[in-house]
Amino acid sequence: MHFVLGLLRRCLVVIATALLLTANANAAGGTLRYAAVSEPAPLDVMLTTAGVSLVIGMHIFEALYTIDSHYEPQPMLAEGEKLDDGGKTIVITLRQGVHFHNGKEMTSEDVVASLQRWAKYGVRGKLLFVDGASSEATGKYEVTIKLPEPNGAWKNLLAHLEGGPAIYPSEIASKATDQPIAQADYIGTGPYMFKEWRPNRYIEIVRFDGYDARTNPGDGYSGKRVANFDAIRFFPVPDVGTRVSGIQAGDYDYAETISGDLYDQLSSDTSVKVVKAGAPLFGLFFTNSKAGILKDNYKLRRAIEMAFCREDALRVSFGPQALWNAQGSIFPPGNFWYSTAGTDKYNECDPVGAKALAKEAGYDGTPIRLLTSTNYQTHYDQATVFVKQMAAAGINVQMIVVDWATLLKMRGQPEQWDIFVTHHGGPPDPILLTFLNDGYPGWWTSPEITAAKKEFTSTADLTLRKKVWDHIQELYYEQVPAMKVGDAYSYDIMSPKVDNLVSPLFWPVFFNASFK
Amino acid sequence: MWSYVFKRAGATALTLVAASVIIFAFIHLIPGDPIYIRLGDMATPDQVDAVRHSLGLDRPILIQYLSWVSDALHGDLGQSIFYQMPIMSVIADHAETSLLLASITMTWVLLIGVPIGMISAMRHGTWLDQVLSGAAMLMASVPTFWVGLYMILIFAAWLGWLPSSGYPSIFDDGGLANLRYLLLPSLTLAAPNAALILRLTRASMLDVSREDYVRTARAKGIRPWQVVTRHIFRNALLAVVSAFGFTFAALLSEAVVTETVFALPGIGRLVVQSIMQRDYPVIQGVVLVIVVLYLLVNLIVDLSYRMLDPRVELQ
Repeated sequence: MHFVLGLLRRCLVVIATALLLTANANAAGGTLRYAAVSEPAPLDVMLTTAGVSLVIGMHIFEALYTIDSHYEPQPMLAEGEKLDDGGKTIVITLRQGVHFHNGKEMTSEDVVASLQRWAKYGVRGKLLFVDGASSEATGKYEVTIKLPEPNGAWKNLLAHLEGGPAIYPSEIASKATDQPIAQADYIGTGPYMFKEWRPNRYIEIVRFDGYDARTNPGDGYSGKRVANFDAIRFFPVPDVGTRVSGIQAGDYDYAETISGDLYDQLSSDTSVKVVKAGAPLFGLFFTNSKAGILKDNYKLRRAIEMAFCREDALRVSFGPQALWNAQGSIFPPGNFWYSTAGTDKYNECDPVGAKALAKEAGYDGTPIRLLTSTNYQTHYDQATVFVKQMAAAGINVQMIVVDWATLLKMRGQPEQWDIFVTHHGGPPDPILLTFLNDGYPGWWTSPEITAAKKEFTSTADLTLRKKVWDHIQELYYEQVPAMKVGDAYSYDIMSPKVDNLVSPLFWPVFFNASFK
Repeated sequence: MWSYVFKRAGATALTLVAASVIIFAFIHLIPGDPIYIRLGDMATPDQVDAVRHSLGLDRPILIQYLSWVSDALHGDLGQSIFYQMPIMSVIADHAETSLLLASITMTWVLLIGVPIGMISAMRHGTWLDQVLSGAAMLMASVPTFWVGLYMILIFAAWLGWLPSSGYPSIFDDGGLANLRYLLLPSLTLAAPNAALILRLTRASMLDVSREDYVRTARAKGIRPWQVVTRHIFRNALLAVVSAFGFTFAALLSEAVVTETVFALPGIGRLVVQSIMQRDYPVIQGVVLVIVVLYLLVNLIVDLSYRMLDPRVELQ
């Protein structure tokens, strides 16, 4: 009898120990399952600004700088920098002992090859590497960038990974063209490394055991990064109902982009945790500065702006007020670039005034062609609301509704539209705003904005840059190259067992996060 | 028989040529551009033009078509613009899901539609027939996305019996047990199709049961179940088998709503996604493969008529 009881006791001790070990192993490892809205574009982050690609790419690739919780650039692969020649020469010292996923140590050769590829083909490369700019290795761990003119946004441009300068091994970067690099070449310095991509099933990244973390504490995307999960799998789950049920059923741990109408219900559901985005997105109705009825007719643009009642559009497209804020500053309150300059013209909601101003602008009832897409339901909802409001102000609108792929092509043809609808994320520096890019459809190129932009980028003095930015925002409301709808905060949901999640600045990241 | 097979094969080849022209032309005629989708919102026109040139999409349409046909005849359907993988491997990966989903769905359709259709026909005009016919109408009229979402809510989120979505291959860890991922989607897809087969079986059996030879068989004193199975059901099968072939082929490509709701890596979802992204090589490849499958299934169905009914002449 004693023997049996003793055996039983020993068995219980073994089982309890095993359970404890399993629990600890779970906390330290496990696979995080992420339900994404779609398949990503190729993960070559230099060449794309597609959201899902960035969410995955942020774990694999790193840049010289990154963003902290205050949206300010901080060193990541860089150790520090020195500016010479009035800001035209930037000498960046690299961290030593950083390794790529293929085991090779990162040196200036890799950084220069990556910067050169980004300069030539990267989506945002030309913003920094204008004609006459160059980068060269001036030591094993030192890179020198030379610019023809100082660029006050240089550090932000090197920190923003969306279409930005991720650092690849030189043997990959130097042979890479305008085509995305092959999956076998998804080699970065990040805490996770690419494992496999099974179309429409999942993309898996696994912990990189040779990761050389920074020692300063984690802050936003900056500082120490620790890969606590053994692996992260990104599943494309297009239906929002399935993403929500998948979290509730325990099939996924994190689900992105949940619809606003479920916000109140999910906020009170104890089986999920709501994760609200730190930075808002904002809808933008671009006006055509190159052709058509709105070209150079700032008065008519202002009449349209005056007719808009933002709250109606935001309520229809995003739901509960906790998810939106009708405010006119391009950057949200609390951000360094927040400004009230010109915002008295935002959200006037005055159809009578708009009608009078349209008449003054010589508007004769010609239909204004508004190009929108149904791929983004919010775009379509906002367009529908605004079309009715414009009609109330006597402005005729012809809505052209197409799919997103068609819209992207049509908006490049200035004779096809007068207004098109898109949205924008809050970038770390105003120079990354699309309406300031004169090559972006809308083509805002008035002499006033050209001069203001030159002044804005030619200094690194933040106080002066902020002053010029206030002026640019004022110009934005005078010349109306685009009409901001309002700040909208997307939200995701996750299982309550996910712990220590870094509050999403632009995209969710899972370094430093773990299971409870 | 053989001359019929050769004639049909020739017609199939001609249909394929016509289909290839239509597929290629239609896909390239729709507006939109894969390059903008791939590069994202911020790409400049110069960058877009450069990538278009690299992919050969700026060549004349006829040259692009001939190049595609030539490669296809050599078994190469090209490379996906987005997945950067050979089309054949992308299709093969998605075909596994679609074939299994269609097969399991057809099993449900067979197990539900045919026996209930038989019962309904045999109890024609009774309350049982009314109930079964009403249930069939309900199954046929409820949208599959609604059924799918409620299936997920009840069996995955509330009861936790089955996975909510996704499908790991049967060749992955878990093996055949991974088929449980297809249970809810196959039941969702089976609902309207079983209703169709149920109604068809019922109608077809009612038609046949009024034939003289059935009356004769009954008059001869043959047992009722033997009359039903040997004389009525077998002769009613022709119409049902035709519908089976068509339904199976359609399920391969038309399960897109179910595949989207359950996040399944199937052919239907691949097509729709590729259309949204304008991944031309994938759309062309998948549609071509679907056309081939349709033609093959129809050929097999036509040939099977002879086996089911020796009176049928294959001409």
